[in-house]
Amino acid sequence: MEDLALGGSVQTVHMFIRSDGPVFIIKIKYREFVGRNTLGELSRILERGNGVRIILESEVDLGDALKALWNVFGRDRVEQVGRMDIVVSRAREDEVRNIKIRDRALDISNKINELAARIIPEGFRIRSVTKGAGVMTFIAAEDPITEEWKEIASRMEGGD
Amino acid sequence: MLKYLIFEGGLYRHEILEEFLQDIGGFVVQKTVVSLDLIMNLAVPEEEVGRLQELVVELKGKVKEAPLIGTEVAVVAPTLSRHHLPHPACDIAENLRRSGAKTNIIGLARGVGQRIVHTSAKEKELIEEHDIAVFTLGNFERCLREFKPILFRELSIPVIITGGPPLDSLPGAQGYVGGIGRYPERVRTGEMIERLRAVSALSGRVAEQRRRELDIDPLVVEPIIVKEEVERQVPESVEALSPNPVTLKVDGVRIKLPYDEYHDKVAGITLDGKRLGGLAVVKRSLMRDYILVRVLPESRFK
Repeated sequence: MEDLALGGSVQTVHMFIRSDGPVFIIKIKYREFVGRNTLGELSRILERGNGVRIILESEVDLGDALKALWNVFGRDRVEQVGRMDIVVSRAREDEVRNIKIRDRALDISNKINELAARIIPEGFRIRSVTKGAGVMTFIAAEDPITEEWKEIASRMEGGD
Repeated sequence: MLKYLIFEGGLYRHEILEEFLQDIGGFVVQKTVVSLDLIMNLAVPEEEVGRLQELVVELKGKVKEAPLIGTEVAVVAPTLSRHHLPHPACDIAENLRRSGAKTNIIGLARGVGQRIVHTSAKEKELIEEHDIAVFTLGNFERCLREFKPILFRELSIPVIITGGPPLDSLPGAQGYVGGIGRYPERVRTGEMIERLRAVSALSGRVAEQRRRELDIDPLVVEPIIVKEEVERQVPESVEALSPNPVTLKVDGVRIKLPYDEYHDKVAGITLDGKRLGGLAVVKRSLMRDYILVRVLPESRFK
């Protein structure tokens, strides 16, 4: 998750592994970012004596947020003080709130897909993916996916 | 029988050690100079180890046993994907190198799953060019016991397996080290480093065992003598840019020069008036067209 900068985005990961199937089911719940692309929507902004402190909700946005802030305020006034914390000196909250960090809203399901592919054993080439609101379920096996496995996967989704 | 040792000490006065080795019939297998520090892999006659240790104390150095010196170990991962590389394979290989081995990492094309898992004839031949193979397998006991032995059971060299579950042994393997398996980051904890050391220690015991087996029907010429003569009579071998251009193995050497250009020259090397081509098999290696020299046992000439 660290490699893919998904630290703050993934909420839960559930796995079901049966080596005598063999089958590997993984369900990942994550925070969706679709439709949110301004700093006001993606972070908490605290006004400080001599500037603002921006606390991002997810590490996914860090690169884009820094780039956008550098463009507006220049590198001298923007400092990353923590993994998800940025301080902009001599700035006000209303100046920062509406800055768009990217033109299009980010869909992190591609990254979730990549995360699952890195976890699922390499030999399980037959895969079935279902996507819901903020949740993706992957069934991987060496044989065609059975209804029983789909049933197990759906129960995992309802189980928590 | 030769004993293999790693010497660590200063560069200052190390010639005394080299002169001592010449006097007792020992060899320097590899010499690495880092600033004013020196690390030497040595091969010393067993009965002279005591005298060598006294000399090392005098030179204020350190010496430790390293039976993996003079062995070429294949670290075999089920695939080249990020599931199996780099961490487990590279960590194990690094630890083996610290114990004196020369390692090569090999990724199989189809080492995964339960149904498609297999080793091709070419992969087997490539692995068998080494002295020991260490297979880095995964976490599921059932897979390890029932499906993975097909990867290594037909190999003619000793095989060591690493995996996740704590098993005593696996059919077809000389040894098994558990507690490793598949992991996604570099080893940092003391417990895990201990597991890597266990792999090196087991490999060392397997190498010793292999050498003792060879003593029953000894080779016509010690591979280390072949290495020295190759370096002397084919000077291009020393200048090759590959790491360890003349790699010592338990039953021969690997020379990192193109086969087509140099195999006649290598076969023509003379050892006590005899051609190397008559004492060893000089063949093309599957690894980058290098030259593989396998010294024949004495029984072949009786």
